[in-house]
Amino acid sequence: MIAEALAAQKEGWRYTPAAALTGPDFKPAGVPERILPLAGRVLCPVGFHRAALVNGRWEAKHAVLKLPDGVTVEPLGEASGLTELLNRPAPTDLPLAQAASSARDGFVVRVARHARADRPIHLVHISEASASAESSQARVLVVLEPGASAELVEETLSFGDAPSWKNVRAQVVLGEGAFLRHHRIVREGAQGRLTLGLEVTLASRARYESHALNFGGLFAREDLRVRLEGEGAECVLNGLALLGGSEFADHHSIVEHAAVGGVTRQLYKAVIDDKARFVFDGLISVKPGAQKTDAQVYNKNLLLSEDARVNTNPEFNILADDVSCKHGGAVGQLSLEALFYLRSRGIGADEARRLLVYAFGSEMVDRVALEPLKLALADALHGRMPEENL
Amino acid sequence: MLKITNLHAKVGEKAILKGLSLSVQAGEVHAIMGPNGSGKSTLSYILAGRPGYTVTDGAVEYEGKDLLGMEPEIRAREGVFLAFQYPVEIPGVSNKYFLKAAYNALRKHRGEPEMDAGAFLKFIKAKAKDVEMDPSFLNRSVNEGFSGGEKKRNEVLQLAVLEPKLALLDETDSGLDIDALKVVAAGVNKMRDAKRAFVVVTHYQRLLDYIVPDRVHVLSGGRIIKSGGKELAVELEKKGYGWIEDSAPAPKVPA
Repeated sequence: MIAEALAAQKEGWRYTPAAALTGPDFKPAGVPERILPLAGRVLCPVGFHRAALVNGRWEAKHAVLKLPDGVTVEPLGEASGLTELLNRPAPTDLPLAQAASSARDGFVVRVARHARADRPIHLVHISEASASAESSQARVLVVLEPGASAELVEETLSFGDAPSWKNVRAQVVLGEGAFLRHHRIVREGAQGRLTLGLEVTLASRARYESHALNFGGLFAREDLRVRLEGEGAECVLNGLALLGGSEFADHHSIVEHAAVGGVTRQLYKAVIDDKARFVFDGLISVKPGAQKTDAQVYNKNLLLSEDARVNTNPEFNILADDVSCKHGGAVGQLSLEALFYLRSRGIGADEARRLLVYAFGSEMVDRVALEPLKLALADALHGRMPEENL
Repeated sequence: MLKITNLHAKVGEKAILKGLSLSVQAGEVHAIMGPNGSGKSTLSYILAGRPGYTVTDGAVEYEGKDLLGMEPEIRAREGVFLAFQYPVEIPGVSNKYFLKAAYNALRKHRGEPEMDAGAFLKFIKAKAKDVEMDPSFLNRSVNEGFSGGEKKRNEVLQLAVLEPKLALLDETDSGLDIDALKVVAAGVNKMRDAKRAFVVVTHYQRLLDYIVPDRVHVLSGGRIIKSGGKELAVELEKKGYGWIEDSAPAPKVPA
């Protein structure tokens, strides 16, 4: 089914090398022989609530959930009362997300009216090592009732030398005045592939804040559909991708302003080394009547090698007249002036390059408010700095 | 300490330095004055090792070694420092981190252990106080959003932290009001000693009222056309550069 869905992808896949998905002969992933501990393998610090999917299946051994009243984190099969949301079809131009709708397992996170998750909730998607190419699918449903708030750290990672592919459909529903911070960390490695369809709807004065941090992986494609349905909703989309080797990442987003006074702030940055490629396609669509919309979409890219490539397309489609919309895309290289300045102070050429790359990326890490996570991300950023002799 | 002999250099296809010679001993302060376009900044950049310049003839010896053969960071570690005319803004790199990386690179080069973060912070706070810089500037990105005067003050802070043997000041006075100029000059004067040399490149005599040079050289057309004591600077201020350029011998036609 996943193969047919892939074949149906047309629009918006012009720059996407689907061969990474069509090449290997993916079979549905089985249950791993042994459940390995998460310690030392996940980036997110311990001490948060935690749940994990291993090869697309809820793994009870990994669950650490002592949740306060009004907050639940459940496997898909155990969640009730979500029929409408579960049966809601994915956008017609996202057949992969529609294919993931039939996933047997997933995460269901719910926060009741005016309740608040006392600690962040860490959701882990793991593909365990296997002898052959395996794929898994999962659903993620996050429902915050009016006035509720939560912080999520979603981490996807894969292990082993065989190709793996996760296809995920995520739906986030924020009630009036609800607030969700959604950190999405990708560490897929040299054989990991990730396709994600993420739909977010915001009621009045709801706020959705997303930090997408891609620390590498063979292939990552994300399609975001955010809809600001209620007045005065606010959406923040921050992103950082650090790509090297022959890695590929593709960010497609459509943010729809359907009500008055919505605010969007989108900034994606990418550092692209070696033969890696990055695609950014960010559309903000302002519907008729969505007056006083205040939206910005920016994509900034740093190319570190001759063979690195980027396609950037930040754009607007505006059908209201009283709006403030700004957009921009930039592709640059390391500043020779800055390199010389650092070297003239005794800092070696390689170290100077690393320092400048770090500086470019650290802006996005600095935007993460969750302190222990920010520190772990800063370390990961250090670990992804280009090697010597760029 | 520094011996420049018959230096010829070009930027792209344009010859800028055309046979410049200059000798600077430890403990001396030399001023290089000259009109715009005479090659003052080119000289500073070539000594610091900025890419983009081609030396076509001549030599530069620093402490008996071939300076031009060294990478810019090696020059810095060996004790050469250029205070930039236009300091570069580096968003995302804190001034504090930058200074620490530079300082520890120098220590490592000298075979000394790196200074730890706590001790270094104390050290630079004292240095910042010396140049009357608000310590909050240590936490800001290098030169980002600094005013012209703050940038120059930051150059002098780096000078004070890195304690070079040979300091080149490229138009350090440009863009400074008189109070900032005094602070910058005081910072430099505090560092004058018998083991350290300064080459002060400036268009105006004003700075030399505060950093009094031992020798003054006039650079014009890519060569030093006149040298003298500090009184030469005063004379230049009164008469302009025209009188020297007019009376200087015509450059030799290459054979």
